[in-house]
Amino acid sequence: MQRTRLRGRTCTSPGKRVRLLVMRLLPALAALLALLQAAAAAQAVPDDGRWTMPGKDYASTRYSGLDQLTPLNVQRLKPVWSFSTGVLRGHEGQPLVVDNTMYVVTPYPNVLYAFDLTQPDYPLKWKYRPNVDPSALGMACCDAINRGAFYADGKIVYNLLDGHTVAVDAASGREIWNVKSAELSEGETTPMAPIVVRDRVIVGPSGGEFGIYGWAKGLDLATGRLVWTARNAGSDSATLTRPGVFKPFYDKGANLGLTTWANDAWKTGGAPVWGWLSYDAGLDLVYYGVGNPGPYNPEQRPGDNKWTNSVLARRPGDGALVWAYQFTPHDNWDYDSNAEMILADLTIGGGVRKVLVHFDKNGFAYTIDRTNGEVLVAEPFVSLNWAKRVDLTTGRPVLDSSKFTGDSKGNVKYICPSLEGGKSPVSAAAYSPRTRLFYVSTVNLCMDYHAEVKTRIRGTPFIGASTPYVAGPGGHMGAFIAWDAARGRKLWEIKEKYPVWSGVVVTAGDVAFYGTLDGWLKAVNARTGQPLWKFKVGSGIVGAPITYRGPDGRQYVAVYAGIGGDWSLLSGDLNADDPADMRDPADFIKDLARYTSQGGMVWIFAL
Amino acid sequence: MAVAMALLVPIGCGGDKPAASGGAVAQQGVATLGPRSDTLRNPDAGDQKSAAEGEKLFGSMNCDGCHGGGATGFAAPSLSDGRWRYGGTDGAIFQSIRDGRPKGMPAFGELLSPEIIWKLVTYLRSLPVPKTVPTQSW
Repeated sequence: MQRTRLRGRTCTSPGKRVRLLVMRLLPALAALLALLQAAAAAQAVPDDGRWTMPGKDYASTRYSGLDQLTPLNVQRLKPVWSFSTGVLRGHEGQPLVVDNTMYVVTPYPNVLYAFDLTQPDYPLKWKYRPNVDPSALGMACCDAINRGAFYADGKIVYNLLDGHTVAVDAASGREIWNVKSAELSEGETTPMAPIVVRDRVIVGPSGGEFGIYGWAKGLDLATGRLVWTARNAGSDSATLTRPGVFKPFYDKGANLGLTTWANDAWKTGGAPVWGWLSYDAGLDLVYYGVGNPGPYNPEQRPGDNKWTNSVLARRPGDGALVWAYQFTPHDNWDYDSNAEMILADLTIGGGVRKVLVHFDKNGFAYTIDRTNGEVLVAEPFVSLNWAKRVDLTTGRPVLDSSKFTGDSKGNVKYICPSLEGGKSPVSAAAYSPRTRLFYVSTVNLCMDYHAEVKTRIRGTPFIGASTPYVAGPGGHMGAFIAWDAARGRKLWEIKEKYPVWSGVVVTAGDVAFYGTLDGWLKAVNARTGQPLWKFKVGSGIVGAPITYRGPDGRQYVAVYAGIGGDWSLLSGDLNADDPADMRDPADFIKDLARYTSQGGMVWIFAL
Repeated sequence: MAVAMALLVPIGCGGDKPAASGGAVAQQGVATLGPRSDTLRNPDAGDQKSAAEGEKLFGSMNCDGCHGGGATGFAAPSLSDGRWRYGGTDGAIFQSIRDGRPKGMPAFGELLSPEIIWKLVTYLRSLPVPKTVPTQSW
């Protein structure tokens, strides 16, 4: 269906029909031509075959220009190697491949492995074993996970769970620097993957469930020295908001990070940074999503609570805030906005726009002008009922008051999506400039929400809501979808029994890969959604597949197995490593443990 | 409960005193500071009123944030399954709460009086222990 539509939109066949179309649709065709040229230019740059940063490129597309794997041959894909990481926690994130070496960061205790891809059996070149404070296990809300490393200037840079950031020599495994970037005793942990722009390493904390005061920090790549700290709430000086530099499209005024909170609740208001960061070199802007306000009981923090549940655009050099947009003001539902911001140039309204595309936990997919924060398209990509739509003139969601929560509201029934999100920020989507489609792992769960008053005690959870889940409309709990972000439309979907929680990679061979909680790595035709291949990797997939060119010139696909993250909390009967922790299956997903258990593995596949 | 509320008021999120050192749990489990667990005696053992107060404390002290509502397990282990990493006697549970444990259980001894901790112990010990379920079948 999609292939037909795309063919119908090309203009390569001369003839009367095309000439008529040119006459009638000249502006649109001009834009299309520009887009095709842009796509051709993108494809003209040969892929270097490496995977040096979490999202493959600064635009976080998770698109690889490698094209050996195609819908015609991917059925012959076979595992060629696997390796147990020795760790049972949730294996989120992805390996890196640089200079014929694969780098793997494990969940706590955050071992870094370097595999030599030039040798038979891929033996280790070295492994680096940092000294990580085990008390961090008690400050991590949602399993002791890690989302990966970033390669820059001969260094592998990543975060340890206990609030330290390290740089390790990529050749030798020698620790170059190890600095404390977060305050564990405040409930700050650091599972996110840093981004490195020029000489700046940008990191942020988890802790939206511990009443932290969220921030992003810029460190010096050479030394780890702290260069700037930008709070995500509070005064303009704390948030690095300066007159003349800060130019938001919607929310104007001074000290918005203060005035949108009552009773100084911003001091313990959360606003964590645990997702993925993007960078536009032309605009010199780093984009990141901010997580939920705390506590979950919204009546303890009246106001919009800026800049929780927002996207912030900052200059990497000095951290200055250039624009911000809040997806879910005064969050009632734990709709963090930590999901990736994918940068693309799309034709919207007859012109090519520099946009970022974001699939929020709140169920809306946003296409935003990344130069200024104007929302161009905002449409639901999953079933949702907390809002009717997003008003593009104000940028605010139009709410359904029957879904408001709070300690005075009692138990509010059947809110969609659940606080797991219409898509988890964990599972980064991908964008193909060839199909101009976004490939997204989605979750179809709804929840009841019973909020209660909570007191913050430093270093303990600051949550205050009970939120049981049920499967959403249709009964399936997840789907893998293709999304047209220029129009805000779903092109196709593959329904899955369980929530889809993996990242995605899409290739120039028009194959997309994703994984499932019951442990299948799957390949589909990126144009049609036709399932092509699958392989059971032994444990549920919550990481992100990657693809790279090996030293033999062949295209490989790699992925982690290792269920965990939220699923180690929600479906505690998956765990088999603690005889003193026996739990019943979760009501909404009683049989997941029938198909998977813990187990951290690295898998590599090739034809 | 009155003691608990007195403890909670000065460190509330809406108060004018942000949590200071006295209002925080210790970051890390430490070696035993007080008497050995096998010499500790629960003055409230079996007392239903104490257990009920302990249940409220389990929520107000944010124990449920890690161990789950009803202590059925969440980010931290279930405390309602009759199985214990560090011992399930009243004294051992008291010690876990007071001194913390190395894999993330904070030490609450500076924040909670022994009387308060015993109420939490009494609550946890009052939970009905399910039949051991060594087999899960579908």
